[in-house]
Amino acid sequence: MDLFLQLLANGLVIGTFYALSALGLTLVFGLMRVVNFAHGELYVVGGLLGWALTDLVGLNFFLTLAVVIFSLAVGGYLIDRLLMARVRGQGEEPTILLTIGLSIFLTNTALLIVGTAPQKVVSPFANKPLFLGPVVITQSRLVLVAISAIVILVAHLLIQRTTLGRSMRATFQDSMAAQLSGIRTSHVYGFTFALGAALAGAAGMLLSSIYVAQATIGDVVSLKAFVVVILGGMGSFAGAIVGGLVLGITEALWGGYMSSGYVDAIGFALVIAMLLVRPYGLFGKYAERA
Amino acid sequence: MIFERNCLLIALVFALLAPLLLQNQYAMHIGVLIMFSVMLATSFNLIVGYVGEFPLGHTAFLGVGAYTAALFSTRLAMPYHVAELAAPLAAALFGLVIGAITLRLRGPFFVIVTLCFAEVLRLIANNWIGLTNGPMGISGIEKPSWAIAGDAFQQKVSYYYVGLLLAAVSLFVSYRFVYSNIGRAAIAVRENRFVAQSIGISPFYLGLLTFVLAAAIAGLAGGFYANYVSFVGPEVFGFSFMISMIIMVLAGGKGTLVGPVIGAILVVLLEEYLRDFKELRFSIFGLIVMAVVLFLPRGIMGFITRRHETYVRRATRDA
Repeated sequence: MDLFLQLLANGLVIGTFYALSALGLTLVFGLMRVVNFAHGELYVVGGLLGWALTDLVGLNFFLTLAVVIFSLAVGGYLIDRLLMARVRGQGEEPTILLTIGLSIFLTNTALLIVGTAPQKVVSPFANKPLFLGPVVITQSRLVLVAISAIVILVAHLLIQRTTLGRSMRATFQDSMAAQLSGIRTSHVYGFTFALGAALAGAAGMLLSSIYVAQATIGDVVSLKAFVVVILGGMGSFAGAIVGGLVLGITEALWGGYMSSGYVDAIGFALVIAMLLVRPYGLFGKYAERA
Repeated sequence: MIFERNCLLIALVFALLAPLLLQNQYAMHIGVLIMFSVMLATSFNLIVGYVGEFPLGHTAFLGVGAYTAALFSTRLAMPYHVAELAAPLAAALFGLVIGAITLRLRGPFFVIVTLCFAEVLRLIANNWIGLTNGPMGISGIEKPSWAIAGDAFQQKVSYYYVGLLLAAVSLFVSYRFVYSNIGRAAIAVRENRFVAQSIGISPFYLGLLTFVLAAAIAGLAGGFYANYVSFVGPEVFGFSFMISMIIMVLAGGKGTLVGPVIGAILVVLLEEYLRDFKELRFSIFGLIVMAVVLFLPRGIMGFITRRHETYVRRATRDA
């Protein structure tokens, strides 16, 4: 029973981190319908930038976080205006290719600059273990779970309560109607991608203070994020949380009780199984139109 | 149709003569790689160009073919031609199962789920050590007698001609498939799914048929690769083969049979040429992918056919 509680706690913590790392993709893939294979690379760029600023330059953690969010937002906006905008409305294939090209470019350029060594963001939170009954959690993880919850909440409020969020939802439901009612849709696309990139970068920086930032982990992050978004259903933050937690807990329990070799396959198996039963996600809504 | 057939026949004649002109072992190695890539690109193109979906996990079938051929020759001590026949059959079987599941989905969901299947297979190849020898891979795949006869140059030439035969068979089957009623129906589905459905075409079965054929060709390529390299590891399921396939088909021109062939030749030569740039070459590759999508959206063949069509139109008008 103690083992079960510990595994459950680990699963919850990791699940929250999965949800955090998939937030950006929830926006870009879930809402905007851009299959963004460069998501993991944006996460890596955030992590490496965070490492460079905290470790090499010696900047304060929260100041670095602000810098990372700002620079990735600018980068994301430029990516959308310079690349994605040119293939908008041509189906998903060109965007998939563009983002794959972008991810190859980012990964290998990062490899050229920082090499293959794993790097760590300097964290201000103590790595002390906390004992909650039979469960042990380190302090830094607990703090990060709290930060993740705040970030998710802020993103949710931004989409649901602000004018920008409302125009985003309008644009992705029917861009023509949105344009007719005076929304500058090209800006909305740009801002959404910028927000997605900023969230990916922030997640990369935050999680690299516990795990590591490494130029080559982008693929894995992208894949897990896709799994989380699809499990939760497209474009809903509540869904992303559920998807992340489902993935985290299943992986933790499987790794604890069964074999650890196939842990990474679980997410894919879950996605395959779920798309067979509910093709558009646990909370997804989808209607086919001619 | 005739234009495409003539292009392919001319390419075949050139390919047959190439070893006589290029008395060079390295050039023959490149030739073998080109034949392998032509098979892969043709297979990937059948789905991208004629079903209109984007199977990002197409390496699954390459890997299944390669592992089947490797296991047949190492575990069962089968000769090469049996292993090479078993590879496409096994891949087609996997194609049937995976296609039956994934073709219910469309768009981004299809993309991700096919990728999931390839990843699951990669993880199995990595972890089922009893069967696949895990990350160490299967090495020492026995070569047939024609492949060890003569000096190094002649061995390469033998492989080149076998590769050419397999690639020609793949292209011939694809040609007959694409220009049959089934192929035309597939194009109807690709162009407008709902119109096609309304005249009694079932998109699912057409898609599945194409999917199985494409899987078999990828498996054929995998079997050839396994024997040529004489080693198979889990990286055959990996993303790097996928990326080359995508670039070949898209740069060459999807939805044509000649396009992927041109793309395959270009990509193999480009990869060899960029070797001088060492690590920088992958970054350059990424930039090339983006440039192709932005500036050559229909690939080189799209560009050529448009020129050809205007030429024909002008000729008929003047006549």
